[in-house]
Amino acid sequence: MEKLAKILVVVLILLVAAVPLLGQQIIAQPETIELRARMPENGGWSQEFIYGLVNVPIKLRMTSDDVVHSFALAQSSLPSVEIFPGKFSETELVFDQPGEYTFYCTRWCGANHWRMRGTIVIEGPASSDQPTSVPPLFLQLGLDLDAPHFARVIPSNRPESARASERTNALPDGLTDGENIWSKSPEALWKDLKADEDLDDQSVWDMVAWGLNQQGSSGWMGQGRELYTQNCLACHSESGRGDGVMVRDLPPMNHDKMGSEATRPPDFSDPAVLLGASPALLEGKIIRGGMGTGMPYWGNIFTSEQIRSLVLYLYSFQMELEERP
Amino acid sequence: MTLPKFISILAKPILGLTLAVLALTAPLSLPPTQPVERYFRIEASQFAYSPGVLQVNPGDQVTIDLVATDVVHGIYIDNYELQASADPGQTARLTFTADQAGLFRFRCLVPCGQLHPFMLGKLQVGPNQLFLRAVLLSLAGLLLVLWKKPLSTISI
Repeated sequence: MEKLAKILVVVLILLVAAVPLLGQQIIAQPETIELRARMPENGGWSQEFIYGLVNVPIKLRMTSDDVVHSFALAQSSLPSVEIFPGKFSETELVFDQPGEYTFYCTRWCGANHWRMRGTIVIEGPASSDQPTSVPPLFLQLGLDLDAPHFARVIPSNRPESARASERTNALPDGLTDGENIWSKSPEALWKDLKADEDLDDQSVWDMVAWGLNQQGSSGWMGQGRELYTQNCLACHSESGRGDGVMVRDLPPMNHDKMGSEATRPPDFSDPAVLLGASPALLEGKIIRGGMGTGMPYWGNIFTSEQIRSLVLYLYSFQMELEERP
Repeated sequence: MTLPKFISILAKPILGLTLAVLALTAPLSLPPTQPVERYFRIEASQFAYSPGVLQVNPGDQVTIDLVATDVVHGIYIDNYELQASADPGQTARLTFTADQAGLFRFRCLVPCGQLHPFMLGKLQVGPNQLFLRAVLLSLAGLLLVLWKKPLSTISI
């Protein structure tokens, strides 16, 4: 009888010891990472790097320590997640390819908002061959992004894409070749076309607008407008004049003193600025940023398609372009 | 015949009380104003609105453009229960008819930092009635103080 009691006691003690261990096994869930968002002045994301494995979900539990932030994954179509102080937002990410992914804040959280970026490092085997990345056109052409590029030939009226498409059915050769259009400024295209075609100045400008317009993928204008509104407008302003709320107290841009201080962006409402810039140049500026103005770099945030839509949208400050059906 | 003594003692307090009640409750009939359209551009920065006080007349058609200049800010107008929030660079617009008279607070809707709870402004619809009544009350008090002539000498 005494022996039975001893055994019972031992079994009970083992059982008590087993409960927490078994419990931990049962409730064990994918690791949740707590990510705190703070204004860049206060430290930015609490984790600059997040590590994970291919096809293993990463659970993020996010909150803000100060103002409204938002979590978004760069170059992806995932909707951004709003992060409010005092509340927790959760999201789950799965990556099927190893690599480095950028995450960033999409709500303006201060003057240095754009610095709020971090990296997710995913390790593991690649499931398929990654497409080899082609260097962007501005690198292939060796463009100097910081050189002044003011157009000398200015149209007397706003170039209109629709006017050209009404007049003729076919684009001239120079305006169907995508690489030709992307590597030349509208002014250079105009000069080429003016030499070849027997048209008045304004008609040639309309042709150039039409050619650029044809470069957009479907929905480019809406996409470009949305990207501009969310990411560019606070500095470049709605009118494109470059006097947005974040930069209006800064000195205007000056090519001679480039890099000495942060300045306002150039004035897109001035035809000389945009008509002298090739799409490849604008693309490069968006990818790399800088230009001595303090502009952020967007190369690892936007997809190349998004950047193309944005570039074409910029030309709509100087031309009447239209959304393609 | 003179007034009974108790009346002459109480006369001044009663008169004062009557005047005070009148000053505080009498309907102030002010000339009605022609409704106009009013436009305000409010710049919101941490942690204030500029301008912080908006004055309109009842019936006015009010348009408020809210411009955030540093972080995301919002606006919520008490009683009117209107709200909007603006990201820097993206102006938010509120349009409404000022159909409720009085003084209303508006406050930031979006947590915008440590002092966010103190980010307040005022919407004044119509004249400042409280101030006008305070002036009337002070005048009534002044009248009683300056009125030295004893009431007991008044004869009916």
